[in-house]
Amino acid sequence: MTTLSTSQATHAAMSAPAAHGRRIWTVALWLLWIVCLGLGAIGMYQRIAHGHLPAGYGSYVPWGLWIAIYFHGVGIAGGAFAVAAAGFILGLPGFRHPAALRAAIVLAFAAVVPAFMAVWLDLGHMERASRILTSPAFTSMMAFNAWMYNAFLAVAAVCWFISYRRDTGWLKPLLCLGVLLALMFPSQSGAFFGVVDAKPYWHSPLLPIMFLASAITAGAAMLLLIRGIIGVDSPAGYGDADPAIFTAAMARLRSIVLVGLVAYFLLEFAEFSIVLWNTQTHAPALDLVLFGPYWWVFWIVHLGIGGILPFALLLTRRPGAWIFAGLLVAIAFISARLNVLVPGQAIGEIRGLQDAFHHPRLNYTYHATAMEYLVGLFLIAVGMAVYFVGRRISKALAAGAA
Amino acid sequence: MNQATEDSTNVRDSTGCMTRREAVRAGALVGAGLAVAGGTAVLARRASAPADPAGPGTIRSLPVLNNVRPRIDEDVLLRMQRELVKAMAKPVEQRRWIMVIDTRKCVGCHACTIACIAENHLPPGVVYRPVVTEEFGEFPNVQLRFTPRPCMQCDSPPCVPVCPVNATWKRVDGIVAIDYDKCIGCRYCIAACPYGARTSDFGENYTDGAAEGCPDGDESPMFGAQTPWADQPSHEYGKAWRREGHQSPTGNARKCHFCLHRLEAGQLPQCATTCIGRATYFGDANDPDSLVTELVTKHNVQTLLPHKGTKPRVFYIV
Repeated sequence: MTTLSTSQATHAAMSAPAAHGRRIWTVALWLLWIVCLGLGAIGMYQRIAHGHLPAGYGSYVPWGLWIAIYFHGVGIAGGAFAVAAAGFILGLPGFRHPAALRAAIVLAFAAVVPAFMAVWLDLGHMERASRILTSPAFTSMMAFNAWMYNAFLAVAAVCWFISYRRDTGWLKPLLCLGVLLALMFPSQSGAFFGVVDAKPYWHSPLLPIMFLASAITAGAAMLLLIRGIIGVDSPAGYGDADPAIFTAAMARLRSIVLVGLVAYFLLEFAEFSIVLWNTQTHAPALDLVLFGPYWWVFWIVHLGIGGILPFALLLTRRPGAWIFAGLLVAIAFISARLNVLVPGQAIGEIRGLQDAFHHPRLNYTYHATAMEYLVGLFLIAVGMAVYFVGRRISKALAAGAA
Repeated sequence: MNQATEDSTNVRDSTGCMTRREAVRAGALVGAGLAVAGGTAVLARRASAPADPAGPGTIRSLPVLNNVRPRIDEDVLLRMQRELVKAMAKPVEQRRWIMVIDTRKCVGCHACTIACIAENHLPPGVVYRPVVTEEFGEFPNVQLRFTPRPCMQCDSPPCVPVCPVNATWKRVDGIVAIDYDKCIGCRYCIAACPYGARTSDFGENYTDGAAEGCPDGDESPMFGAQTPWADQPSHEYGKAWRREGHQSPTGNARKCHFCLHRLEAGQLPQCATTCIGRATYFGDANDPDSLVTELVTKHNVQTLLPHKGTKPRVFYIV
């Protein structure tokens, strides 16, 4: 893949985001934000006014769309940080400036904040959420994971602050710690499900690796998208307006997403192959994924829009296509989470349990409701707002430091 | 890549990898991070469960059935009641509660399910003891088998270690308990239970949407949101739980607890009391003379999903 990044033809075809192009993107992003916020506010009102009653999850499928958003968000955060920090530590072209690092840190925060909000809204007692930090039980991967995220955020915040200082000898060491955390918590997200012996579909040692691969892929795709449409710049003159820097960053991110896509789908095939050729294991859950009522989530959203189409776009030599591929991967990879989350819960171990006592929440089917989707839009608006504010603060501090 | 262009834009670019000093610092930070993470995981495994009250203070001297002379042919409920009183006269750590369900006797009346709902004031969507019905054969040669499914009170409960806030634990008498005031409602324990024995209280009420009576308030409503039973608290774990205003147990995971609050008062679990077929037995496995010990040792008993390794304390005679 490295040949792709150095190809003269590719280099010549690339150009930094033009001013008028940026203006169009700015208007489009503002419109998107307003729509997400407006519609999302309706969902938030429903959630606050009516609690969990308008939601589609229940007791036999206790987790739904918001938990998928949560794991997707923290995956993007970890992946984006790990890629940018590794690029900075290694001094890779396109990543070697603190401005590029700060853009990734702001992106990580913009992904983690709505992710935390998603899981917070999912709690039965939101007011007790702090207990997971104040009185944790580390036998639970959930508590371990929560502490890991917060440690990561603390390290990322410190890296962000000291990146403005000159001649700091602590930035790269702290970034190494940050990369360790950023690699650990997405894989722990896989372990979060993998430790649940009650769900055969989840109980796989491959899951942590798959979650890590998808986190790096989605994180790099999100960076590709951000650098493609917003760009990275600093008052000192460094930035994606420089075709050389833009080219180097985009080519590198393109390679990472391509490799990530191949790795993820290979791992997924490895997981599926065990089931397809040994129907004694978790075949019913895989049947649901491939041929159930939501077959299109796997075949169209995950494999088509999140896999084959971006892969083809990334193989072209057009940076615009790469940016679009980044968008597709960043959005469609939530289906990777959903395809683990929901089918794993949708198969009960005790046959006939859902017929033993009838209630809509005592059912092994799950359909996300309008309220859940609307809250999802609100979370996107929150993420965009965090990125916007974070970027402004970053630029202001950079101007002050220059 | 035009490296010179990028390098010339700012002197603070990260060129090359790390200096030796940076590498040492990085190694120390990463090593410390791994040590803390690993140490935390190991220590968490060694941590003790929340301490329940134990010792002589837990002995109950209950006057139940004091004036009823035992008879050889008395109902098994009376025998279990006496054995319960006997068990409660021991410190809690010497009791080992188990339940035995004779599926050959279960007629599938669901009386236990309903009695449990009434006893624990369970809202819609929350059930502690459903009765699973399985059909065998093809019409007209159809047979039914009924399997009541309470919480298995596992000796290796998968729901306990996944709780992120220590809100659920295995008591010394074998019952898996939940502290409703600690539970944050994450539902991880619900996902972890292979028996589907935990359900979440999402805040529904049987009176939701019901008529609220006459608007002028002069006449008492026949039914509706003011139905008195809906306002009564449940007494799970010996406390009065009122659900209004999203208070616990609303928002919590809930499950069967062998009617712990009834045991403390010398009463059998409601499901055992109401079983019209006398198919549900309850007692102390630490009492060699108890009916449950007799049933478990003399019959061919099975547990649900034994391959999960959860070591259930609910046994089925099949």
